[in-house]
Amino acid sequence: MTILAVTQLELRRLFVRPLAWVLGALTLAELAWRFVLLLGSFLASQIKLAALPASPGYTDLVGVPLLSSMLTGGFLPFGLAELALIIVPLLTMSTIAGERSNSTLPLLFASGLPASRIVLGKYLAVLVWLLLWLALTLAMPLSLAHATHLDWGKLAAAVLGMALMLAALAAVGIACSTFASHPAIAAAASMMLVLALWIVNLGAQIAGIDNGVINWLALSTHLETLLRGLVASSDLLWFVLLIGLALALAIRRLASERERN
Amino acid sequence: MTSIKSDPTIPVLQLDQLSRRRAGRRAVHDLSLVLQRGQVLGLLGVNGAGKSTTLSMIAGALRPDSGGIKLNGADFLEQPELARQLIGWLPERAPLWPELTVSEHLEAHGHLRGLRGTALMQARAAIIERLELQPLTRRLAGVLSQGQRQRLGLACALLHRPALLVLDEPANALDPVQVAALRTLIRDQAAAGTAVILSTHLLAEVTAVCDRVAILHEGTLRHDGPVRSDDHAALERSFFEIAMNDRKAQAA
Repeated sequence: MTILAVTQLELRRLFVRPLAWVLGALTLAELAWRFVLLLGSFLASQIKLAALPASPGYTDLVGVPLLSSMLTGGFLPFGLAELALIIVPLLTMSTIAGERSNSTLPLLFASGLPASRIVLGKYLAVLVWLLLWLALTLAMPLSLAHATHLDWGKLAAAVLGMALMLAALAAVGIACSTFASHPAIAAAASMMLVLALWIVNLGAQIAGIDNGVINWLALSTHLETLLRGLVASSDLLWFVLLIGLALALAIRRLASERERN
Repeated sequence: MTSIKSDPTIPVLQLDQLSRRRAGRRAVHDLSLVLQRGQVLGLLGVNGAGKSTTLSMIAGALRPDSGGIKLNGADFLEQPELARQLIGWLPERAPLWPELTVSEHLEAHGHLRGLRGTALMQARAAIIERLELQPLTRRLAGVLSQGQRQRLGLACALLHRPALLVLDEPANALDPVQVAALRTLIRDQAAAGTAVILSTHLLAEVTAVCDRVAILHEGTLRHDGPVRSDDHAALERSFFEIAMNDRKAQAA
């Protein structure tokens, strides 16, 4: 499978560069700090929570907030979702733009690989790294699963939301990388785009407008539903559409580059 | 998997009225060529003659605007995946991933060309030995000298034993000993049945290793004929006539 050959090559390049290791180590350290803070706050409020009839548990106050600060408020320290807005563009910036600046892109074309396999192979490699990152983050709340009551359904929905968000950001990042001449430009464009997707409805909400279309466009709307434990097919479809659109654009751009060069 | 015909009577490479524009100018125009198994074709031309564009199209890195390319009788433009097994390409400056070692490069190229397991290990060991890359296997490509980079690029191009070897100025940055070794390697490849197309602007390179020479000028084929190793002067005369006559005509 040539897709897997590209994935293997991209993974190797990703893991021998210090960037991926540094990003992984720094973000996991920051998430561990967030986990300790959330756990401390959860333990401190145990007596208060016990008095409530349907009090939120470990999953609501530690597990899900570790993934995103969206439901808990207060951004710092960042949750995984907020970190992903910075990390994913940095990880994806070199996928195609790096090949272009290295002059190795024609080599991939000359291996008889269609643009779709190059893009999908690279996308899979980035996904592997991101899912590993998500798994290591999840290991923190799961390490206490034996000592507490986890709401597995709610956590699974939140993890699904995070996985879809990471997959969507990776697709957008790779699309930006195919359009940019230099990795740094790809990273900047990708960051701007994912930030815009994240907060597209914020201005309208501040202005008191609760427009359905603008809300539907925002990534945060769909992620929030999943983080609350609700799995709606419309939210899943939104992520699938975004991933499909971004990858289709990337493939089209790369194929036309082969034609034009 | 595409079936690859290996009938020795079918030309390995057939270019049919190949044309391509680049940066608004005619880079290659109406180029037709045929290359048989075991033949070494020298592609000569001054800078900007269209040699690299031609080789990029043959290698599958660039699509022609018009015309056809056949590899072992099959339409290469319809089946670009043929490049995977049939073509080995060394561009003018060997493109390498600076963060990967020499050994990792060979492995990655092997995977891209469909080699796996024992076949890959054997091919890698053979090419490392053939190109004397043993002391460099664990070195990062980013720290290699120009000559070493060129040797690694050549190793990647030869790894999967292609039917057609496309070399764009392969002697660049090589020392005289390495140039001699490269010539031997090209001749050995041809003796084993590989068709070789070699772009250069060094006439000595052509008379040393090529059976045939094609002279490109301003994107068009101006000469295509056999080369005699003892007739360097005749080749030089033809080359300068083509290059200088055009300049005179332009000046007039």
